[in-house]
Amino acid sequence: MKFNEWEERKKMSVSSFIAKLAGATALVGLSAFGVQAQTSGEPVKIGAIVSATGAGAGLGVPERNGLLLAEKDINAKGGIKGRPIKIIVEDDASNPDTALSKANDLIFGQKVQALLGPSLTASTVAVGGVTHANKIPQIAFTGIGPAVERERKCLAHVLPPQRLNATALLEYAKNIKAAKIGVLHDAGYGNVVMAELKPLADKYGVKLVAVEKFEIGATDTTTQAAKVKAAQPDAVFIIATSATPFRNVKQIQIAQPVIAAIGSSSYEYVNAMGPAADNIVIPEFVVGEDPLPHQKAFVELYRQTYNSTPKNYEAAAWDAAHIIAAALNKAGADATGEKLCEAMKAPYTGVLANYDFSADDMTGIPISSFVFSKLVGGKYTRTPFRVAQ
Amino acid sequence: MTLSLVLQALFAGVTNGIVYALVGMGLSAIFKGSRVINAMQGEFAVIGAMTTVLLLTKAGWPYAAAIAGGAVAGALVGAFIEVAFVRYMAKKSASEDSFLLLTIGLALSLSASILYFVGRDGHLLPPLGGEGVLIVMDAVIQFHALWLIAIGIGATLALRAFYHRTTIGLSMMAASIDADGAATTGINVARMRTFTFVLGGLLGALGGILVTPLIGVDYQLGLNLTLKGFAAAVLGGLTNPLGAAVGGLTLGLVESLAIIGISSSYKDVVAFSVLIVIMILMPQGILGRAGRRGG
Repeated sequence: MKFNEWEERKKMSVSSFIAKLAGATALVGLSAFGVQAQTSGEPVKIGAIVSATGAGAGLGVPERNGLLLAEKDINAKGGIKGRPIKIIVEDDASNPDTALSKANDLIFGQKVQALLGPSLTASTVAVGGVTHANKIPQIAFTGIGPAVERERKCLAHVLPPQRLNATALLEYAKNIKAAKIGVLHDAGYGNVVMAELKPLADKYGVKLVAVEKFEIGATDTTTQAAKVKAAQPDAVFIIATSATPFRNVKQIQIAQPVIAAIGSSSYEYVNAMGPAADNIVIPEFVVGEDPLPHQKAFVELYRQTYNSTPKNYEAAAWDAAHIIAAALNKAGADATGEKLCEAMKAPYTGVLANYDFSADDMTGIPISSFVFSKLVGGKYTRTPFRVAQ
Repeated sequence: MTLSLVLQALFAGVTNGIVYALVGMGLSAIFKGSRVINAMQGEFAVIGAMTTVLLLTKAGWPYAAAIAGGAVAGALVGAFIEVAFVRYMAKKSASEDSFLLLTIGLALSLSASILYFVGRDGHLLPPLGGEGVLIVMDAVIQFHALWLIAIGIGATLALRAFYHRTTIGLSMMAASIDADGAATTGINVARMRTFTFVLGGLLGALGGILVTPLIGVDYQLGLNLTLKGFAAAVLGGLTNPLGAAVGGLTLGLVESLAIIGISSSYKDVVAFSVLIVIMILMPQGILGRAGRRGG
């Protein structure tokens, strides 16, 4: 099956091909849906940009799956006022320049109504320049990033801002009464979360006794882990997008609880952790093995279609597609960007989280949307701990 | 800074250093024998490790046989690259930069092929000597890391003996120092060049197989290893494979001690500043002069 996946991914760079592919899967997939609604007329075109190849592929591939599944679901439920929706998925190869040119093509060439994605913050910032200037609604699969994004009032985000991720880590630390924390973080994603974590730690009465950094793609972080161990923390935070620090922490026998940021929650990393993927707690949203009641339908449908268990990024993309569909249904399929934007600015109960796009950060995810999962023998289990709003 | 922390840094530094050394030795063996800077040396490591993973998990071979299979795969790919590309280009008197471009291209193609055929997932191999660890004053080292160090040192000594004691090794050295001279004494220079690629492939694959139980292998590991191995080889003196062993250990230790001595934020700044100083003081590399005499 791996082979087929790659084949598919390769085709993604050719936009006309992916349109056909999406159309074909939509037709084939219809049988998977119980009640069918008829859609007819000119399709409503939505553009999407994901990082299906390159460093961000660990995010982009699940996101693409979530988008294509959402497209089928929306059309099976009557599309946009009876018209089918068509999501044109493009790959930015994890490169902001490519994302920008794909966005230009989607907006001015394909004349899409709205844009979903991209997967990475740098690409989101780049693409936001075009959507903002042309009043095209955009829903990014990233948490809100640099300050400029606060001015882009029609750029919604379906993943939490890094400040919220940092808060979730600290809430769990408070829950287990850990007052001294050691941190292992990478120089990319980890740096951004760390910048938010530092000022918050004081508020939580938590002392960061060791903060150790390693470069993205580092193959060994043993010495950094040893410094964290030497500081004798009550718990260890790992903020990274790789399996390496998790293995190193287990290798040098750090016995304290390990709490990891959502960035390393994908199965790709968990599988690469091997036996080290045990007893790690992750504040996240979707535990496919034990979904919350409102997540069950999505998880079942995803399993039936892809024969694998979805995690956060699949759900984020699914939500983004449904949010834009809801806005289109409210404002009308031919509504202007501004009208769509207005329609979007409302609370929305998604699979991943409860959003409120009228919030200042264009995300509005409350801390209560987080679930805290624990890895047991490489599988996720949902812990009873939740944070009240 | 406690003694146990220093000890832990030394353990990590030596372990990483040996991996850099194995990749670097392969790189410099190929450079010595063919004047090709092999930018795909890290891919040999990935090929060796991936083949071992596949033989062990998919084909159900015993671990020892799978390791041997992985090492042979590295050697065969090395031979193939020499016969299919390098030999042909050398006949047309290709320049050193053309060879560099060739190996960069091969590195990218091989990485893509592994993504295509094996997929994006990372894989681990079972550690040699089991999951056990040795604890010295609170510092921990895996039994596997001890095996890695022992095998790395063994490979270095074996390589030295090979170059100095065996007819093929001496012929390879002769062909690399003076190709025309070697040809007049009846040495098949072209074949010796194939052997250097076999040797390079074998050393790279061995490094990859040994490091996989510690860090895992995936399709994009190669470039990372090539860069560290290249630094090790240049530091030790590019023309002397044994220099790469010294260079690799130096690099591993400097990196690791920089973390505990200064700060993990400045690890690379400190490590590479030290390397720059070494290269200014010893422009031929630490053992570069010995390499000119034949290593």
